[in-house]
Amino acid sequence: MSKSDELTRREFLAYGGGAAGMLALAAVYSRNVTRIDTDAISSSTHQCDVLVIGGGMAGLFAAVKAHDAGASVMMVSKGRLGSSGLTPFAKGFFVFDPATETMTLDEYTYTVSRSALGTNNPVYTRQTAEHSLARAAELREWGFFDSNLYNKAFRRPVDARSIPVIERVVITHLFKEGRRVAGAAGFRLDAEATVTFRAKSVILCTGAGAFKPNGFPVCDLTHDGTIMAYNIGAKVTGKEWNDGHIGRAKNPAATYDGWGDMFDQRPSTEGVGVRHDLGVEVNYLAYMQGSPIEMGPASSIDGEPFRPAEFADVQRPSEAPAGRERPQSGGGPGAGGGPPARKGDANGGGGPGLGGGAPGMGGDAMGGASAGMAIHKSEGLVPINDQCESNVPGLFAAGDALGSYMCGAIYTQVGSSLAGSAVQGAVAGEAAARYSQGVELQAVPEDVLTSIEGEILAPLRREAGYGPAWVTQTLQGIMIPNFVLYIKKESMLRAALAYIEELRDHHMPMLRAADMHELRLAHETANMIVSAEMKLKASIMRTESRCSHYRLDYPQMDDENWRAWINIDKDEQGQMRLEKQAFDAWPAA
Amino acid sequence: MGVTVKPDLKKLIAIAALVVFVALPILFYALGDFPRRSVLKEAISLLTLVALSLMLGQFFLARSNMGVIELYNLRRIRTVHAVIANFAVSWLLLHPFLVVVPRFFEAGIEPWDAMTMMLTTYSSTGIALGLAAWVLLLVLTVTAIFRIRLIKALHTKYPRWRHFHGMLSIALTTFALLHAISLGRHTDTPMATMLIVVSVVGVAMLLRMYFPQRAGAPEPPSAPNVREQAR
Amino acid sequence: MTIQHIGGCIGCRECVLSCPCDVIRMDEAVNKAVIAYPADCQICHLCRMYCPVDAITLSPEKTIPVVVSWG
Repeated sequence: MSKSDELTRREFLAYGGGAAGMLALAAVYSRNVTRIDTDAISSSTHQCDVLVIGGGMAGLFAAVKAHDAGASVMMVSKGRLGSSGLTPFAKGFFVFDPATETMTLDEYTYTVSRSALGTNNPVYTRQTAEHSLARAAELREWGFFDSNLYNKAFRRPVDARSIPVIERVVITHLFKEGRRVAGAAGFRLDAEATVTFRAKSVILCTGAGAFKPNGFPVCDLTHDGTIMAYNIGAKVTGKEWNDGHIGRAKNPAATYDGWGDMFDQRPSTEGVGVRHDLGVEVNYLAYMQGSPIEMGPASSIDGEPFRPAEFADVQRPSEAPAGRERPQSGGGPGAGGGPPARKGDANGGGGPGLGGGAPGMGGDAMGGASAGMAIHKSEGLVPINDQCESNVPGLFAAGDALGSYMCGAIYTQVGSSLAGSAVQGAVAGEAAARYSQGVELQAVPEDVLTSIEGEILAPLRREAGYGPAWVTQTLQGIMIPNFVLYIKKESMLRAALAYIEELRDHHMPMLRAADMHELRLAHETANMIVSAEMKLKASIMRTESRCSHYRLDYPQMDDENWRAWINIDKDEQGQMRLEKQAFDAWPAA
Repeated sequence: MGVTVKPDLKKLIAIAALVVFVALPILFYALGDFPRRSVLKEAISLLTLVALSLMLGQFFLARSNMGVIELYNLRRIRTVHAVIANFAVSWLLLHPFLVVVPRFFEAGIEPWDAMTMMLTTYSSTGIALGLAAWVLLLVLTVTAIFRIRLIKALHTKYPRWRHFHGMLSIALTTFALLHAISLGRHTDTPMATMLIVVSVVGVAMLLRMYFPQRAGAPEPPSAPNVREQAR
Repeated sequence: MTIQHIGGCIGCRECVLSCPCDVIRMDEAVNKAVIAYPADCQICHLCRMYCPVDAITLSPEKTIPVVVSWG
């Protein structure tokens, strides 16, 4: 093409497409004008016994307990200790105090199982309750309950133990040597540098993820841990479940404003209070009636998701003080069939306003605030035992990165998300320390590390490609609609899957990045694409409705075939493989 | 003639002073494109701006401004100088604390943690300048309160103390202004220009008194010139 | 506008560190925080709450189109 041709084409674009067209073009597919020298990227290597990835509640306890069990520990986080993921916004901490509770531990576990319709793993349900008091006591000692910001309290035990914390490093890859995990690699946000960690054991405390939705402070979580573990052969579960949070129609993306004064509150403890929350009832209502939704005591309509009668009355404010739970509770969102729980002031109601009665926030509701996220701790790595261990030797996960089914596939115990992360972090930390005592640090071949580094930096080195922001928006448009994500039917799931496979096959390999921030976006976008594929495939496979999974074409619960979880892993050909695992059973290691 | 004009002139000068040192900073604040925060925060900010401006005004309530002294008489000017010192200067001494005071009433980093973080941000020249200004202001205040005892103890004379007071205030103003320009959330170009112009005039007057151009020139400089500048 | 304004920044980097979504970066030349990637702001206010001098103002509006499930 001659120079004048090129000019003409440019002019055509400029005049024909107008400024908006040019902007859109710039954001979609265009030359990658990197703002950094991609040939001058440095690298560094660290080594330790136990590598903790993630700096939230699970990561804190994993690092502290692994250190106290004698391991040399390093922490690495995409953000800052106590200030990334969902931890900073979680305000309720469930404590089972035998001295004050009227239930026994077994009765509590059984109650959760009844609400969860069998989807919970009673071993993990019990474990959280059993250890919650001890973890809360430690947190109290560190000053956790004294501020609405957690960094200072989290730094206290970590600094006291001189545990190195490397912040603002995005981990994108895990690697193995033989069958065993041997470390992780990623890149720095603040420098043109890659970072490699060689470790005997890795604990993923990477949280869950979503599709960078609007209305829930989860936009930095994109299932990174799940996907990198899946890529080295770990089993993953829980992708068909949904967290059914709704938000405000006005300024839906403003999470702080949407949650009233909740982000301002200091955390506090919660006693036993088992609910059946944050399923898809409100999404079903919106699907059947349209928006704005009419919420009221008599709003239940035919065919709606099944709710056990025992847990029908979920708006007991005494049990669930609004705003004391992390964003996913508070009685409002997902609790179709009644007014939101209120707590004195107008903004104290259960999170973002419900349709027809947004507490103190006025205006209508919108759906999909947390789109792409499952019920906490129902999705993530499949544990092979009660020690948070995955099927990859040396690889552990805790908190929202572990598919422990601690509270099942529906939100049951108030405040158990934060408590569960603390308890599981501690369990995983000790288990990983024990594991690392029995193995040697493995030598990973240089060519393996070089190839991983190439994969990490690939989006920066592409001369042209797709902008990750545009691919993410396209994915959101495919996945987030109510009739795809929440109110499911096979034809629509298959249609969406066709789109997602297109993104996977054609766009994922062509994501571009101009700087380290965009490099992060590129990797996050790729993780969301794989997660979307998992979500759709698991949703197609589960031909029943239960808890937070609702199929319009299979509205009934099918106990005969579906008292089972769905596990996903990569087969020998690199294809996504789905299998059933019976409730109450452990998978083969 | 003088009998009828003088009271009006007095009034006029007082009004002009109020306009320059109080109304102008408020006006620039009101016209500026700053986000409006809570009433408490905005009140603290505004009072701090006015306090800074009034502190600059002290240059014009000194012997370097004989015109004003002659107009009103020394005692009254001294009283006004002292009143401003009491209120504006104390407010500015409290400024580092006032920055974090609103944190007592809202969520976020604890006030004392904010204070520590602020004072240990060594990378910031703005903070260093502010600290230097604060220390100088403290020295200035203490030496002003105990000036009689100080003069006695050091066996010196009042003019020497005055000289020291003036030079210290020039140094302090330099640091404080640079601090305000580099860090102040309300020091946009108009505000900064106003503060600089006022300071330059005030300091120039003081320097002119201390370092008269002609050797052996009477101190203070002739009144008409000063009056010209003050207007 | 998401993060709308940073005024009175002292360059302590607390906001850069505490932003979960890497929206804020330092302008090293002037040692002040700048809103580098506003499209990625989740309007969670952590930056504002960690700022020791309360320099950050946020707006509830997002700079890019918002995708929701129904509305």
